Amino acid sequence: MIQNKNSKGHQHPITIMIDEINNIFSEIGFVFAEGPEVETEVYNFDRLNVAKDHPSRDMQDTFWLKPEDVEFPTVLRTHTSPVQARYMESHEPPIRIIVPGKVFRNETTDATHEAQFYQFEGLYIDKDVNLGHLKGVLEYFLSRLFKGQTEIRFRPSYFPFVEPGLEVDMRIVDGDSKLSGRWIEIMGAGMVHPNVLRDSGIDPEKYSGFAFGVGVDRLVMMRYGIDDIRLLYSGDLRLVNQF
Amino acid sequence: MLVSYNWLKDYLGEDLPAVDKVVDLLTVHSFEVESAQEKENDTIIDIKVLPDRAGDCLSHRGVARELATLLNKNLAFDPLNVTVHLPVSNQFKITITEDNLCTRFMVAHMTGVTVGPSPEWLVERLSAIGQRSINNIVDATNYVMYAVGQPLHAYDADFFTKTSDGKWHFLIRQAKTGESLPLLKDKNALDERNIILSGSELVIADGEKDLAIGLAGVKGGEYAGVSAHTKNIILEAAHFDATSVRQTARRHGIATDAVKRFENNPSEFLPPLALNNITDLIGKIAGGKLEGVFDMYPNPVTAKSVLVRTEKVNQVLGLSLESVEIKTVLKRLGATVEEVESGFLVTSPLERNDLLLEVNYIEEVGRIHGLSNIVSIKPVSAILESINANYFYSQKIRHILLDQGFSEVMTSSFRKQDEIQLQNALASDKEFLRSSLLPTLDEVLMQNAQNVDVLGLRDIRVFEIGNVFKKKGNRIEENLVLALGVQTKKTGHTPADDKILNTTLEALRENGIVSGGEGSKGLCEIDLKTVIEDLPVPTKYEVVEMGREVTYKTFSFYPAIVRDIALWADSTINKEKIRKIIESSAGSLCQRITLFDEFAKEGRVSYAFRLVFQSYDKTLTDVEVEPYMEMIYKSVKDAGFESR
Repeated sequence: MIQNKNSKGHQHPITIMIDEINNIFSEIGFVFAEGPEVETEVYNFDRLNVAKDHPSRDMQDTFWLKPEDVEFPTVLRTHTSPVQARYMESHEPPIRIIVPGKVFRNETTDATHEAQFYQFEGLYIDKDVNLGHLKGVLEYFLSRLFKGQTEIRFRPSYFPFVEPGLEVDMRIVDGDSKLSGRWIEIMGAGMVHPNVLRDSGIDPEKYSGFAFGVGVDRLVMMRYGIDDIRLLYSGDLRLVNQF
Repeated sequence: MLVSYNWLKDYLGEDLPAVDKVVDLLTVHSFEVESAQEKENDTIIDIKVLPDRAGDCLSHRGVARELATLLNKNLAFDPLNVTVHLPVSNQFKITITEDNLCTRFMVAHMTGVTVGPSPEWLVERLSAIGQRSINNIVDATNYVMYAVGQPLHAYDADFFTKTSDGKWHFLIRQAKTGESLPLLKDKNALDERNIILSGSELVIADGEKDLAIGLAGVKGGEYAGVSAHTKNIILEAAHFDATSVRQTARRHGIATDAVKRFENNPSEFLPPLALNNITDLIGKIAGGKLEGVFDMYPNPVTAKSVLVRTEKVNQVLGLSLESVEIKTVLKRLGATVEEVESGFLVTSPLERNDLLLEVNYIEEVGRIHGLSNIVSIKPVSAILESINANYFYSQKIRHILLDQGFSEVMTSSFRKQDEIQLQNALASDKEFLRSSLLPTLDEVLMQNAQNVDVLGLRDIRVFEIGNVFKKKGNRIEENLVLALGVQTKKTGHTPADDKILNTTLEALRENGIVSGGEGSKGLCEIDLKTVIEDLPVPTKYEVVEMGREVTYKTFSFYPAIVRDIALWADSTINKEKIRKIIESSAGSLCQRITLFDEFAKEGRVSYAFRLVFQSYDKTLTDVEVEPYMEMIYKSVKDAGFESR
């Protein structure tokens, strides 16, 4: 309770989480990669096999920059996935990266939605990578993060840049946390679509890989029981100083 | 999409399992199920059909077909698996000026129908999924749409102006700018809705008058609507471009079930099957005779076969399926499967628009065979190819600043006013991208400075590491910066703030983070990109403390009341003990007790404690706090301390 001038400051729970994520993935060789928050339409959509007329490109979902300010159609990235394409075109497989970063959605804010939030992407490209590798990596990650044996299950889903596309549920098997024992929807994932590989200069006949994307804010809110995402970006030390 | 269990039974018969099993099967192999609710003698299942399956599964027959695949059964009755023998009519002239936006336009002509109420079974089917019965003809169009996924429209045939050689003339063309189109009334609406077209829409026109009578794929017009007096009808089943339909619907703010289907590109094979269904149904429930159909389909699509290799299936899924198992699954889908050397040549069932590549079939094999069969492969430790310098040094800076008493904040990337304006901002105070972290950080300082007592701090010290955006010619320069802020007084900045900042910058320098930054009005911003470029390439991340236990407590947004108490105690008394005595009388509204001053004099020590009272429900008043203070004074006195 007693604090004085020399007391230590507090780190933001989002960067605490990113630090733990990076620590877990660095042990299995996943490099921390990054990319711009202001991104071209080409990297944010085209290179990820998102159809030209896909609804996600609409103004209702995506922030666009003014055409007079930019050379090419440009958006605030709606996901960290454009870094997949950027990294693949400049690196040879095997590729193992995580991409934690800020993303933007043009949607009305409420307790569970913010116009900005953090995501992290995982990507692994090599010869003969399959869904078994994805399952193994996610079990390893979640078990480490939630400090208890965690199992996962796949359900069918759809994202243009992966096929098969999956929804991933997790269940913490042991431990006595309030999260234990029940299935929780945790992320989207899948095998990188051959079109995405090909467009980034990687031969889909030779290589395959998986990708997944997780909301960092969601992990933070789940772990600590924070009920309003907006508090994370309010600058309010009444939140931050609890960490 | 709402699905009636009884309706599914029309197609699956006795093979349809109990509701629970249906929900389980769909959840595990196909789609998320939002809910399953009993309604009268039916159960309504709300299914979240995935976008790639919306072309075939926004229909009862589609969901039934999916279940049949999962159950490894055939449909007992399949409205799409029939041989269509419809007589051809020569009474129509169809002109499509935009053949990329309307690839198929088909009509059926029926005479002598009797418009009236629908039979009970039809009313029941529609009402189960929340649709109101209108009359037997309109109900039939809706029924067939919800059954097989093809939107249909019915016209009163006698309203049209015929060509000189006695034909009905449908003209499918681009709208004219400013052209007006009275739409069909909504089921519950009393007012007509007249829309003015922009010129980008595709419309259906009565060709001889060149009069727009329908917004193609979106909504029918009022013109030639079916009424109680209608005797002769024309039924339309067409295929419109998905994007064009979606854009038109958005432009005019119209959301119909037809739009939902057309924007997902249902199969071009559907129109004759749907007309076959509906003319048969109308014959049964409204009488009348099918005179004939006319099909305008200039560039018919052909089903293409795709090579699906056994090795590739197993390679992607991480399974070791025998080729015969793969063949079985593909056949269960309703695909045509031909064995070749490396696998199979597969032709999709005609209603599936999503099976174009080998990998699409691989996904089908995976989910139908069961994703639970995938066995996880444990990752092995591997050497990191590179260390991210931006991240490494950001972390290092964080730790130095935390030691200096600075807390980390994250603020909005948007500002009310700045250099770069967004084309479509969310709100007027978030129209611009930030070019600096400082303006928002200064606001954060001021806000938090009002809460120093609640926070138990003497001053507010914050930092943020984040990206800022500036214009540079016709491009945008994005840069990583560090911003620091200090505020020691509630009212604003004083020179003391800059003094703390400069000490902190010195601490950064001592740790190798060298910048030319200097505190000014309690703030300082450092271009991190430049700083990091000059630092050595890192070789290893620091050790990370994992999963530190933190109990987060929701905090109150109501203002706090602050009270101080000072007392003398013998120098042998532990100050923690005094704090405990105060705490035990302070009540549950006391959120924080801070020792803010202590000095020794003549064998005694003076302690000054600050108490913060705050409620989660309301703004506290002095009257509510006073009794606690009196209690505290009393217990302090009882313990033998002299309050000052």
